[in-house]
Amino acid sequence: MGSTSSTVGTNESTVPSKMGPAVRVKSISQLDSRTLGITWTDDQTSTYDVVGLRRKCPCATCIDEWTHEPILKPESVSENVRPVKVESVGQYALSIQFNDGHKTGIYTFSMLRKLSKSEQN
Amino acid sequence: MSLLKSVQDKLMGRGERMTEEQIKQALSTIMDPDLGKDIVTLGFVRNVEISGADVKLDINLTTPACPVKETMKAQAEEALRKLPTIGKITVNMTATTRGKITQAGSPIAASLGQVKNIIAVASGKGGVGKSTTAVNLAYALAASGSSVGLLDADVYGPSIPHMTKPDAPAQSNSNLINPPLAGEVKIMSIGLFAGGDKATILRGPMVSGVIKQFLTQVNWGEIDYLIIDYPPGTGDIQLTLSQTAPITGAVVVTTPQDVALIDVRKAIAMFDTMKVPVLGVVETMSFFVCDDCDKKHHIFREGGGHRVANEFGVSFLGGIPLEPAVARASDQGVPAIKAAPQSPASKAYTELAGAVASQVSIIHEAYKDALNHFSIDWQA
Repeated sequence: MGSTSSTVGTNESTVPSKMGPAVRVKSISQLDSRTLGITWTDDQTSTYDVVGLRRKCPCATCIDEWTHEPILKPESVSENVRPVKVESVGQYALSIQFNDGHKTGIYTFSMLRKLSKSEQN
Repeated sequence: MSLLKSVQDKLMGRGERMTEEQIKQALSTIMDPDLGKDIVTLGFVRNVEISGADVKLDINLTTPACPVKETMKAQAEEALRKLPTIGKITVNMTATTRGKITQAGSPIAASLGQVKNIIAVASGKGGVGKSTTAVNLAYALAASGSSVGLLDADVYGPSIPHMTKPDAPAQSNSNLINPPLAGEVKIMSIGLFAGGDKATILRGPMVSGVIKQFLTQVNWGEIDYLIIDYPPGTGDIQLTLSQTAPITGAVVVTTPQDVALIDVRKAIAMFDTMKVPVLGVVETMSFFVCDDCDKKHHIFREGGGHRVANEFGVSFLGGIPLEPAVARASDQGVPAIKAAPQSPASKAYTELAGAVASQVSIIHEAYKDALNHFSIDWQA
């Protein structure tokens, strides 16, 4: 069985042969002016610098959806950028509305988990 | 009490007072077949009343549509009967549907705050009987004692009002629309509004807007199951639905043929991408039973539903036979399950409702710590 790539806020391939329970959010809160904290249903915890999240926005205007090359230049994002609202999208992602007007980023939980592991946010 | 009397009582089976401990011990041998735990650990045993040797209790199931209700009652009575000093046994089967899709204060709380479960009924392609399945599933759940709503999300081809013939919607004092009732089920469809017969010519953003309104501006009230009849395919509307509301799980509809299965795989892949649990696959037009020979004719081939369910590791929820009565009833605006409740198709829909309710309970157990919906206003 082949894999399918999706464009619903993610560049990953899915279609596993067995669909087990996904990791979801157990609790989520603003920890300080620039930190978002998440506790996952497997009891792992992650923290994210919101400015870093803005720089890693996965939307199609920030990352070329065909080549996956970045369009957004990190230096163009001010250190003062902050979220206005963080909201769940279905049960697989969250969206962040930023105070610089940008609001099209859909951050899947799977992407957020990877971010948390690969970098010390 | 004298020693003689107490021995005599025991010999006559007139017991000492039963204890709650003994009762729970006996009942802890009964397992819930879906959740894999015993009914005492799961907290199903409630309101235990003991008078002497007589016992009365409730077993509170996770849904009124639980398919093993009668079996579990029999098992409980048998387990209690084994207690040496037991007197009269009264076991009441009750049900409180488990589920909660959002927290108070969330933007979807006004319309969906008292909806316990949202179930998508989807297919990869059209013409497989998805809407008929959604309607009959809704009414079968209602017949089991659940409170049900049915949202027709097929904005371009709404068929639910035709199949159910709801009353006129009640006036609303607030910003929310009240969904009209068709029998016991609350209905919402674009077909209820002006020009229902005319083709709906809407561009994408308007359609998304309508869908969002159906989820955020309809007063669904307190219901156990909101069934959403997804339009066929895997496009904009389906994405908007799955992104706007926390879908508890999806039922995927297919016919047995391979060509339908190709599209089913796409639908399952779409749900997997958005991490919507797939409750299982239901196969429609499974077979036709000739009323003369009682033989099952597999007109659209055989086994496809099982195959694709195995491939994805999801449940096979059932096969619905092809019956002229079902199509006729649909066209007349009465679901088959009401028009012909003894028919094989109706029985299949009732079993489907039980299977769906079971899978929903399993999902809840698996995700009981998860937040279904959250919204944070960031403080400076």
